[in-house]
Amino acid sequence: MSKIPRNFKLLEELEKGEKGLGAESISYGLSNQDDITMTNWNGTILGPPHSTHENRIYSLTIICDESYPDKPPSVKFISKINLPCVGPLGQVLVDQFDTLKNWKRSYTMETVLLELRKCMAAPANKKLPQPAEGSTY
Amino acid sequence: MAAGLPKRILKETERLMADSPPGISALPHENNLRYFDVKINGPGGSPYEGGVFKAELFLPEDYPMAPPKVRFLTKIYHPNIDKLGRICLDILKNKWSPALQIRTVLLSIQALLGAPNPDDPLANDVAQHWKDDEKGAIGVAREWTEKFAKA
Repeated sequence: MSKIPRNFKLLEELEKGEKGLGAESISYGLSNQDDITMTNWNGTILGPPHSTHENRIYSLTIICDESYPDKPPSVKFISKINLPCVGPLGQVLVDQFDTLKNWKRSYTMETVLLELRKCMAAPANKKLPQPAEGSTY
Repeated sequence: MAAGLPKRILKETERLMADSPPGISALPHENNLRYFDVKINGPGGSPYEGGVFKAELFLPEDYPMAPPKVRFLTKIYHPNIDKLGRICLDILKNKWSPALQIRTVLLSIQALLGAPNPDDPLANDVAQHWKDDEKGAIGVAREWTEKFAKA
């Protein structure tokens, strides 16, 4: 099997994100359009319906360093959120979040954002009280 | 290491290493023989002359039915190359044919450096600059060559 190199995988992800070919409930793109290393990304998650996140838009930063996608990206919420897998500074805790903990090379930033959204909608989490809308870390 | 690599890729690689086209080099990564480090010398008479432009090339699983993927790693001021080094070239997209090779792709990219095409732009602001003030645009391209391609 051919193993797609980091840069070409990120270019594919970028293209999918730019063309809006992915899921509608999330989005992502480069933080800086000039960043030839494609390291820093922004993501958003539209809060799932029938939860305390409904109608909220959560912003995140995603860092894909040199080891991506052999290793998972670092993911951090900018918008304040109350979720068991998110630490006090907004960082997504690898040990508490299966997608990062059991990372696979075939996963993408889209996978991460969609799985976080699922986590927000999970029965155990969907009624958790949330910080004021629009507050940030 | 070469196990499982199609014969065609091996042959192309051998020939590239033994007899590379003038001003072009392509070396496969030891741990991924479908992934090449590429260097292209700016063609003489172009604003890229004297510069060495690094690029990367990857042969996807379905190569040669699908084209190679290529991107510049050195910053370059060119209407058909964007800020991330992505290249707008028909043979890398809809005009690809399995009869083409890594060698022909790299030669076409080198030729693109010598003949920018602002009517089929990827970097719109650069293309506009080229159309409005070709002399000025060429001047910037030359400056960028000096600044980024002569490390």
